[in-house]
Amino acid sequence: MLEISGVTKQYPTPRGPLTVLSDVSLSLNRGEAAAIMGPSGSGKSTLLYIAGALEPPTAGTVTLGGVNPYTVPEKELAAFRNRSIGFVFQDHCLLPQCSVLENVLVPTLVAKDRAVYPARARDLLRQVGLEDRLDHRPAELSGGEKQRVALARALILRPNLLLCDEPTGNLDESSAEMVAALLLELHARQQTILIVVTHNPALAARFPSRYELRHATLHPAGA
Amino acid sequence: MRLYTLLARNLAWYWRTNAAVLLGVATATGVLGGAALVGESVRASLRDLVLDRLGNTDSIITRPGFFRQDLAAGTPIIALEGVVDHVAGVEVYGMDTPQVLITPALAQELGAKPGDDILLRIPKPSSIPLESLQGRRDDAIRTIRLTVGQVRDLPSFSLRPQQGDVRAVYVPLARLQRDLNQPGRVNTILVDHASIDLKRHYTLADVGLRVRTLENPACLSLESDSALIGDAVAAAAQSLGFRTQPILTYLANAIRIRDRAIPYSVVTALDSELADDGITLNDWAARELGAQVGDPVTLEYYVWRSGALRTETAPFRVERIVPLVADPNFAPDYPGITESRNLRDWDPPFPLDMTRIRPADEQYWNRYRTTPKAFIRLARGRALWGTRFGSLTSIRIFPPSPDFAEALRTALDPAQAGLTVVPVRAQALEAARGATDFGEYFVYFSFFLMASALLLTGLFFKLGIEQRTREIGVLRSLGFSASRIRTLFLLEGAALAIAGALAGVGVALLYGALVLLGLRTWWFDAVGTRLLGLHASIPPLAIGAAAGVVTGLASVAWTLRGLRPVTPRALLAGDLGAAWWGRRFRLPILAVLLAAGSLFANQTAGFFFAGTFLLIAALLFQSAWLHAHNSPAVGGLVALGLRSVRYRPGRAVLCIALIASATFVIASLEAFRRDASPPGAFQLVADSELPIFQNIPPLEGVDFTPFRVHPGDDASCLNLYQPQNPRILAPPPRNPWPLLDSRLPGGAVPAIADANSLTYSLHRKLGEEFDLAGVRYRIVAALQDSVFQGELLISEENFLRLFPDSAGYRFFLIRTPPGKADEVARTLTAALSDYGFVVQPTAARLASFHKVENTYISTFRALGGLGLLLGTVGLAAVLMRNVLERRRELALLRAVGYRPRHLFTMVLAENVFLLLMGLATGAVCAALATAPAVFARGGHVPLASLAILLALVAAAGIASSSLATAAALRSPLLDALKSE
Repeated sequence: MLEISGVTKQYPTPRGPLTVLSDVSLSLNRGEAAAIMGPSGSGKSTLLYIAGALEPPTAGTVTLGGVNPYTVPEKELAAFRNRSIGFVFQDHCLLPQCSVLENVLVPTLVAKDRAVYPARARDLLRQVGLEDRLDHRPAELSGGEKQRVALARALILRPNLLLCDEPTGNLDESSAEMVAALLLELHARQQTILIVVTHNPALAARFPSRYELRHATLHPAGA
Repeated sequence: MRLYTLLARNLAWYWRTNAAVLLGVATATGVLGGAALVGESVRASLRDLVLDRLGNTDSIITRPGFFRQDLAAGTPIIALEGVVDHVAGVEVYGMDTPQVLITPALAQELGAKPGDDILLRIPKPSSIPLESLQGRRDDAIRTIRLTVGQVRDLPSFSLRPQQGDVRAVYVPLARLQRDLNQPGRVNTILVDHASIDLKRHYTLADVGLRVRTLENPACLSLESDSALIGDAVAAAAQSLGFRTQPILTYLANAIRIRDRAIPYSVVTALDSELADDGITLNDWAARELGAQVGDPVTLEYYVWRSGALRTETAPFRVERIVPLVADPNFAPDYPGITESRNLRDWDPPFPLDMTRIRPADEQYWNRYRTTPKAFIRLARGRALWGTRFGSLTSIRIFPPSPDFAEALRTALDPAQAGLTVVPVRAQALEAARGATDFGEYFVYFSFFLMASALLLTGLFFKLGIEQRTREIGVLRSLGFSASRIRTLFLLEGAALAIAGALAGVGVALLYGALVLLGLRTWWFDAVGTRLLGLHASIPPLAIGAAAGVVTGLASVAWTLRGLRPVTPRALLAGDLGAAWWGRRFRLPILAVLLAAGSLFANQTAGFFFAGTFLLIAALLFQSAWLHAHNSPAVGGLVALGLRSVRYRPGRAVLCIALIASATFVIASLEAFRRDASPPGAFQLVADSELPIFQNIPPLEGVDFTPFRVHPGDDASCLNLYQPQNPRILAPPPRNPWPLLDSRLPGGAVPAIADANSLTYSLHRKLGEEFDLAGVRYRIVAALQDSVFQGELLISEENFLRLFPDSAGYRFFLIRTPPGKADEVARTLTAALSDYGFVVQPTAARLASFHKVENTYISTFRALGGLGLLLGTVGLAAVLMRNVLERRRELALLRAVGYRPRHLFTMVLAENVFLLLMGLATGAVCAALATAPAVFARGGHVPLASLAILLALVAAAGIASSSLATAAALRSPLLDALKSE
């Protein structure tokens, strides 16, 4: 279970602290999915990074499976992120020097029981339709294909929480559709907690829970 | 997929950046390893050269005089220095050769070829000390005409450690022995083993002593070839338990009582019960003088003192008159006197007034020869006639024991009599360690070059990491800890550092070879030899490689330190953030304090440490300033360009550091450049190969200051070998250095040396005490920019005590009337050419030293030039990178109406600013760091040449920046907008 409780995030500026999130709470159980929408600069990505243990909140708590990642030491935090959280970014963020298969396996380099993952990586790449592109470099893929690799990479260690920051933001309509469908299909199959931050109403509409960030606070969409 | 797979992928993918990092490490390794290699190569070349010239010789047995050639198993030779035709300072060797050989260098200087005749002038061997009354100073040179048989190819035998070509003539030993009237005798034996039991094999004759058996009285007489028995020998002879009678016999020009006088009489000083002014006359003399006991007597005699023959007198009173007992053996053998049949046949080396000789005197000579006419107390005789060569002419031993000679031989240390074993090979190897540690100096001056290479390494690595910040962010988001990512990058850095260090070994070999080529050719004046070769040895290369790995890795680690505080989100946004610049002014202030402290340290080390700390302080201040947020308002294109300097302050500081390091080296070296020295009190300086006594022709208005010389190693910068026994000079007693006459506690001999020679050749400090050939010296003063760069100066009193065998004067300072220097030089050279008298303007002598220093400066300035090249490369790389990263920004400016020249101005302004900051930083730090040395040299700085040099550097930098800017802006910028 992901429990975001009373999270506030402020950034220092010369004119005083800038509040990006104010007393935001959100609770999602295993298998649940939510889309978060909001205008640019509303703090969507900040909330995602806070939920993903990438950026500590100014106030409030985040727990995933009962663990508050911001209370564990840096080294354990990295391990926690490695085994519990998967990320998909708007820009795929693939390593250009590695092949498709290697990119998917990058998270396993710092994980335990690495022997089991190559087969899973191949399976995931088959599921995203890239089984014949294993040895290709990212530069040889289209935007949609890169994002599918990023999705496979995010799921390689069976994370409890999958966080997607504008996963279709850089894609054309058909690619976006394919990535969105894959995302939901894999989420359903793997029973992760899924949070997607998006501008795209069509993508958001596919999610059972939708939220909107306005004036630093989180509201159910349409409320 | 394993971690090393990712590592390999990273190394291959970012090969351009990695190649730049690798090249940076290779350059740093190569510079350090190459510098160390240069030092090692110079040492090895000097070692090879001297060993080649020594052949199998391990040690030599030598003596100022001659001895039996079969004294010891080895190669007997005669080793001298002489003048061949007009060429002075020629090594002359009498050795086993069928014909006369000369070295190619001498042949070239003489213009001689096989079959040509040459005139060799060498000191004539003389057992009688030249600076004693009986010394034949007018006949001190032997001239020999030789026909050149062959010009001998290398290797040329030489006992003198010198890096220059050997100028020597090799003469058949028998021929030289005959010409020097020394059959079967030599002054040197070459031996090829270290242990020689000289004491077991030498005879008294080998050290110029003999024991004669006299019949009347029955005794032994210990005498010396030199006619004077040295104090050490005398002490040994009198300590053996035999009854001895020390004797000092002298020639009185006159024994005078009132108006009566006896000319040219032998007077003997003995241990007796006479009063100090008492004199005993034999009855012949008493009769001739009409003397009665109690009559006052005056002895009139010659002495050789302070380079001149003087007549002195001493008063006595007749205490006894004794019967004449013929005993001519009181007097030693004096060539030209004792063997003469008549008094009128005497041919002494001093003037005689033959008109004073009466028939009675001739009769006395005919009957009694050198039988003394008078006797005085030994102590009085010694006071009147004692010399530095000894104060006894013989010692009689009673009774005539057959054991005395062997007892004396056993008791006497042959070294006390001048017969020594010199470990020439060991000394040569020690000398070959070099007066100047080229490796050290190249490391010093390469330090900034190496620092530049490492800065460039860090810069390229930093650029590489900045290029990969999003990748780092991704890894962080995927669960890689910051430490693991640092480890990954460190492993990359380590792989690059190791590969770079291995490549650097090749660079080191190339760099070392190039520097040695430079030393043999362009910088020949610094070393004076073309015989230096590259000696590739493992230690310097390994040191360079290890230092390359360590410093390369340190440079990478330093760059990575900034990753620690940056959040993954910031990394994903491509922001490396500011690392530790919050501690803005503490470090720079500390660096300034360290620099100030260094200025008080040793001059050379202080200069480098002060310079380094000053540079660090300046760069830290600039970094703090660039990281501050108070940017000036944008009021134009240039201001907009300058604002970009703060875009990546770290890069800007690295660029400034690169340019500043090179400028520091170039500017500080220029400050040390020596111009022509102002003329001093003496217009001319002269060296004489053969000693000169009173034979200098009188010239109107010309004033000579003669110096005594004990030959030795040249301690000036012209000699690459470490001087083991530097040449020692003694000025005349009245000189401007009263410190030389001071009495030091512990008995050390006060010495003065040139400041440069002291620091760089002798490696001594003012006030330091040290031993040379068993004598303790103390440096009591140092001379700035003097003509005495090759020697130590000591007082004449100490000189004569330490080197009693050194005779005459061989170094001269000459003061001439205005405008007459050339004429005087020509006259003296012509008049004294037989002595190998070489006259040179003092300014020319100083200029020859300055030329060496200036060549060193040029050598090291080339390293600064290389550093500048690296700086320019760094500046161009940063410029390119900045333009690449800001393509969208620049494209936007183009879209809103900026023309290419506007962008050119903006980008160039940024780079020119960095260049000028670097130049100013380097120049100011150089001025501060060199200030103590410049003030010590009189405060003269070649400002004009320095300004021209800096202007040239600035012009070159602006030109290269312009080219780089034009190249960077050539790509179609508007595409950057379209692609978004």
